[in-house]
Amino acid sequence: MSLLKAEDITVRDGATTLLSPVSLHLDPGEPLVILGETGSGKSLLAQALMGMLPEGLEAKGRVAIGDRVLNAGTPDRFRGLWGCEIGVLPQEPWLSLDPLMRAETQIAEAHRLVRGLSPRVARARAASDLSELGLAEAGSRFPHQLSGGMAQRVAIAAARAGGARIVIADEPTKGLDAARRDEVADLLLSEMGQAGGLLIITHDLSLARRIGGRLIVLRAGEVVESGTTRDIFAAPGQAYTRELFAADPESWSPRPSAAHPGPAVVSAEDLALVRGQRTLFQGVSLEIAAGQVFGVTGPSGCGKSSLGDAILGLIPPAHGRIRRQGGAHPFAFQKLYQDPVAAFPRKRRIGEALADVATMAGCAAREVDVLMEGLGLDPKLLRRRPGAVSGGELQRLSLLRVLLRKPAFIFADEPTSRLDPITQASVIRLVTGAADTDGIAVMIVSHDQALIRNTADSVLSLSEPGNEDNALRHRRRASSLT
Amino acid sequence: MKLIASRLVQAVMVAILIGTATFIMMRSLPGDAAWRIAAGRYGYDNVDAAAADTVRAELGIDGPALPALLQWLSDLARFDFGNSLVSGQPVMDEIVHQLGASASLALVALLLSLVIGPPFGILAGLRPGGMLDRVLLVASTGVKAVPQFLMALVLIVLLAVHLRWLPAAGHGELRHFILPGLTLALGLAAVNARITRDAMARIADMPFWRFAQWKGLSERQTLVRHGLRNVSVPLITYLGLQFVTLVEGVIIVESIFGWPGIGHALVHAIFSRDVPMVQGTALVLGLGFVIVNSAIDLAVRRLDPRVAG
Amino acid sequence: MSSIDFQTTRRLPLSPMRAIGTGLITLVAALSLLGPLIVPGDPLAQSLIKALAGPETGAPLGYDHLGRSVFHRLADALRLSPVIALAAVATAGAAGLILGTLSAAKGGWIDRIFVMLADALLALPGLLLVLIVLAMVPGTALGFWAGLSLVLWVEFFRLTRAATRETLASPAVQASRLLGFGPVYLFRIHIWPEIAPMMLTAAAFGTATAIMAIAALGFVHVGMRAPTPELGLMMVELLPYWREAPVALLSPVVVTFALLLGLTLLAGSRET
Repeated sequence: MSLLKAEDITVRDGATTLLSPVSLHLDPGEPLVILGETGSGKSLLAQALMGMLPEGLEAKGRVAIGDRVLNAGTPDRFRGLWGCEIGVLPQEPWLSLDPLMRAETQIAEAHRLVRGLSPRVARARAASDLSELGLAEAGSRFPHQLSGGMAQRVAIAAARAGGARIVIADEPTKGLDAARRDEVADLLLSEMGQAGGLLIITHDLSLARRIGGRLIVLRAGEVVESGTTRDIFAAPGQAYTRELFAADPESWSPRPSAAHPGPAVVSAEDLALVRGQRTLFQGVSLEIAAGQVFGVTGPSGCGKSSLGDAILGLIPPAHGRIRRQGGAHPFAFQKLYQDPVAAFPRKRRIGEALADVATMAGCAAREVDVLMEGLGLDPKLLRRRPGAVSGGELQRLSLLRVLLRKPAFIFADEPTSRLDPITQASVIRLVTGAADTDGIAVMIVSHDQALIRNTADSVLSLSEPGNEDNALRHRRRASSLT
Repeated sequence: MKLIASRLVQAVMVAILIGTATFIMMRSLPGDAAWRIAAGRYGYDNVDAAAADTVRAELGIDGPALPALLQWLSDLARFDFGNSLVSGQPVMDEIVHQLGASASLALVALLLSLVIGPPFGILAGLRPGGMLDRVLLVASTGVKAVPQFLMALVLIVLLAVHLRWLPAAGHGELRHFILPGLTLALGLAAVNARITRDAMARIADMPFWRFAQWKGLSERQTLVRHGLRNVSVPLITYLGLQFVTLVEGVIIVESIFGWPGIGHALVHAIFSRDVPMVQGTALVLGLGFVIVNSAIDLAVRRLDPRVAG
Repeated sequence: MSSIDFQTTRRLPLSPMRAIGTGLITLVAALSLLGPLIVPGDPLAQSLIKALAGPETGAPLGYDHLGRSVFHRLADALRLSPVIALAAVATAGAAGLILGTLSAAKGGWIDRIFVMLADALLALPGLLLVLIVLAMVPGTALGFWAGLSLVLWVEFFRLTRAATRETLASPAVQASRLLGFGPVYLFRIHIWPEIAPMMLTAAAFGTATAIMAIAALGFVHVGMRAPTPELGLMMVELLPYWREAPVALLSPVVVTFALLLGLTLLAGSRET
């Protein structure tokens, strides 16, 4: 018997349909993955199943949970199910724990107030939940003292403490690197066990593949296809699904290396960076040539973005030398930002901001139009402010902006980590295109190893800081590249 | 500890600022300042040219300004405020005498404002844009626009003169606290309520608030367990800054209601150019701010483990 | 990325609250500037026979205890403290803006010294500072201007410094610097658009604070001296006669409230 069965769930905002009828069922021990890009309606579907749509949105359809049948149009009735039937694992769990309450208490309160256990028993249960997850000593810590992975485990324990058999996880790997992503997938699967239900909402193809079970692909509020995850990954039946899979960096074909690398644009010798008291890395040497794509990857906090900033001269190195090509003009070293919205003047129209740069760089206003066309951008975007343009378009506009400056070197700092896969693929193509056609030296920093592997001519892998052993390894790996 | 150090620096700066200001005030007094200070020290009957000369030499009143200022500030550093030019009593004694009356009035006003403001703020913040939120916005804006002396005037005319419920002035009994206390409290509550409302609305929009409900906690349980403590942090921090508003209110309200406190004394001292008294009271008020805010810093550290580090 | 569409709903330049505030201020300004032109009269002329008499054509709001026209005294008072307040706000705003930007841009010792000074001033009740300055500076109006400027610049300084620091640390400024833009462009395009709305709010609050301070000190007899018409002074003079001449007392009360309410509404919410 299904743990959860939903029939013809629709979501509307006034007259606009945001989600066309979707039916699904969740069986014990078999996870269900809902896969889609931004705007596909995947989160709305989950919210409709929980009865927690934002105000103003209206849901229709029937949801059967256990032996209860509810109408998705009356969300108030769902509230009694939260915690005791359905548990939700929120996005970014480290923000979902009360910053002023100890971890164990946040689990114990669900045992006590939702399940009705006595305070003493509730505390004991919370402690045993934590030790089952390998967090026996973390109970007395506050959320800011937990690592991201620990916070995720505490959140899972807290979400299920009320007795929920069904767990809904909304983008559980948002902002995580590959190793942590697999860890979370395995944890969710083991928590589900044989009798539990697991519904995962994600845009992350690797997560979907690792979770397995059944898969529903959504696009613009419509179901594209559904079936077992293995079958769909083996042979996607629809054009969109194929496009989506092809956009996954794992399945990109490696970019061919430049035949004749040009002269070195930047080089660094025996570089060390320190933030506060912490050494991020040391002993890194590198050389980036014109027309070359240099990839840097590593776990979060390893200093890969700081390395780029140091090369641009934005932060001083603690040790070592950085040499920028003598002949280049002083503004030939440019940067693309992770969040392009924050990289444009907030209250200036994009067209004006670009015109400012064109004037400053002394190039003709027509050049903007030529580049707009070359990057596939609609001229209408120039009239908008940065907040009103999609991330992918704005990142292309950022590329346009730095190209106006005729750069010799571009540091692209996680340029696509906030973009959907298909957009990501096209932006990365354009950035590497600048290296291929204009002979610009490009340094791409990304936590996505596959992306770096398939785009860069040479790769620098940084590892967790604070370990002498690791630091030596970079030295070997980095120097072997040049 | 960095926190304590920065508060200490603030205290020293406050003292220097007040010392310098009162020094300039003393120098710009009309007539012979040395004679007046000597009279303050020894009494008008005992003052003579010799005593005035002693004071003149000690304070360097006619000499170059800088050494005189340093002398003045070093007296201040030794907490030697001298005697009041009006009563001849040591400034310290007078202040100690008046501080109690002011502190009790301020405390009553603060407690009253906390009873009135934050509860409405929490209810309004839980439903932003709702009926109560809009009413509260209008009411608090209206009350904020009423200066304390006008509030006092309205309350006196309404409650004391017209309805004859309460005494308009006087001191010593509990009922004497009501009018001045309420005058101060309403203004504070209008701002408290807004601060609480904004904090509550922000917290109710945070992921951890939603997650608490997803765990199965009721709205009430979520508020009690995750709302109040989180709201209290910004509220308490704000109360520290509000201390200045409270003191300003105390100065005005004490003068209006004839309350024998430090604010009343300060206004008198400035009126009669009693420089040592001005310096003493100003210093107590300024250092009071620093002490209250240091206490609040410590309280916030206890409440919020992130600050404690 | 999906949230971008929601962020575009921006605040209207003139919200209803601000529109009402502007209306109230305009009304009060009209009363003080146009009133005496329509009904000519002398705010200082006494006529003891008419003491506390009710409204008549020459004195639309009646007479005070010394037989002076309340209407003309009010119109006069409404030109006195608001003008002092505006002058103080202009001085304080300019000082705060310049020092705040300088502090944020230079950092180091300059920043530390100004912050220390601002923190010390913040610990002192504004009224106390104004009183001390009043005792030093000859001329009450000049004293109020100097004292209020001294009190009010701190707020402008803190706002400007905080916003400028945040903006200067943003990727947008870093990008502009890498592209080769200089300090003038950074201020005009990045910093000023962020602080301008805050400056309006702070200026409106500052003006209200200054008017309140002048009136409050007048009310407790340590501000403007009689016979100068001043809002707080008028109220305290008329308070004993509120039964005999309620209109005379209510006029300054209502007008002061309207002016302060207008400024508070114009300021809008400090949090946004």
